[in-house]
Amino acid sequence: MTYNLIAMTSITYAQKAKRILNSKKMYCEIQKTPSGYFSGCGYSIRIKDDIARVTSILRMNDIKYKDAASGYVR
Amino acid sequence: MINFDNSATTYPMPPSVSRAVADAVRFYGGNPGRSGHKLSVKTSEKVFLVRESAAQMFGAKTENVVFTLNCTHALNMAIKGCLHRGDHCIISSLEHNSVSRPVYAMSKRGVSFSVLEVDDDDEVTLRRLKALIRENTKAVIVTICSNVTGQILPYREIGKICRRKGIVYIADAAQAAGVLPISMSDGYDFLCMSGHKGLYGPTGTGLLISSGRFSLSTIIEGGTGATSLELEQTDFLPEQLESGTVNTVGIMGLGEGIKFVKSKGINRIHDYEMKLTESFLNGLKGQRGITVIRGSGNYSAVVSFNKEGYDSNELAEYLSNRGIYLRGGYQCAGLAHKYLGTQSNGTVRFSPSVMNRQSEVNVLLSAIKKA
Repeated sequence: MTYNLIAMTSITYAQKAKRILNSKKMYCEIQKTPSGYFSGCGYSIRIKDDIARVTSILRMNDIKYKDAASGYVR
Repeated sequence: MINFDNSATTYPMPPSVSRAVADAVRFYGGNPGRSGHKLSVKTSEKVFLVRESAAQMFGAKTENVVFTLNCTHALNMAIKGCLHRGDHCIISSLEHNSVSRPVYAMSKRGVSFSVLEVDDDDEVTLRRLKALIRENTKAVIVTICSNVTGQILPYREIGKICRRKGIVYIADAAQAAGVLPISMSDGYDFLCMSGHKGLYGPTGTGLLISSGRFSLSTIIEGGTGATSLELEQTDFLPEQLESGTVNTVGIMGLGEGIKFVKSKGINRIHDYEMKLTESFLNGLKGQRGITVIRGSGNYSAVVSFNKEGYDSNELAEYLSNRGIYLRGGYQCAGLAHKYLGTQSNGTVRFSPSVMNRQSEVNVLLSAIKKA
């Protein structure tokens, strides 16, 4: 299956993002950031929705993220 | 066994706290915020839920809640992270050593400080505070409620003054959290508290809650689970101030303690403890040779007293031998005792929790009378 990935600044923000997205019935799972996608280690959220839509929700909720990428196959 | 030493550590704890601690040891052995496997993630989720619950309780953003080892740890991080050479700060005359000692230590590194003499009249206290503010005053660091006398400072008004002047407001809520209706909307920039007192959590837990308006220099650096390739310490909360593995076992217990306080209701807890305190104070009035260190201002459910002919520690020992536990001596608050004039003998401190009963107060009063 293909997902979109958003690299989060911390596990706390990843959890906050998951809490908010799940409350909107949107798929969101936390995973370690796979190497090759973003620089550094840390946590990402795996989503099915459009990146722009999700990042807009994150910004509205003061949730910090680092980067986003599409086409993550798992 | 009757425990009236809850200002030091609340005991007994709710059974739900013990169960949560046991569950943490048995089922949540992952390192939160480090790995990606299920054990780590489910432990992280538990830690996050407690962070979120604490944030909700004190009107903070979840990410601005930092887990610490205790209130002293939180205060040291706030005080030493905020003050730098050339800064001035103000502390109150009722401070615990967890404030006065780090501030004194900072005075050897070029920070100056003034002591605000707390009056029973809040207006007098606030006037004195305003008069102490200088151009280089960086922070006001005060207890919300004295751990010696139970006097409650005008904490909301202090917040307004600090906000108007752009001064960092660091509050010691060790005796206030879970008992008084405190919230970040009172104006704190850094609210520090223990988890093992009014929040009914295990020892080894504390909270540092930031308003997010000011950042702190760190006094501990290390692994945070974030920005791992950088030599520079992570610069965002809560990870910036949580280097090293957090106390998941204690945090899960604390989560249940917070849940317990929420279910009881802070106002109900306060009213119940005050009822026991009033009963204790009334009972002492009828006894000879008793001195109570209590004025006419606002006071919480903490009472310091002495009995003529007794050293405070000897009276506490006399009571301990009868299965009643109170703390004698200086309660780690030398500055407060000097200000109160009780430095020669200290005091015996009565501090109930919601677990105490009126019958226990009666037993204590009877034992003091017989001493």
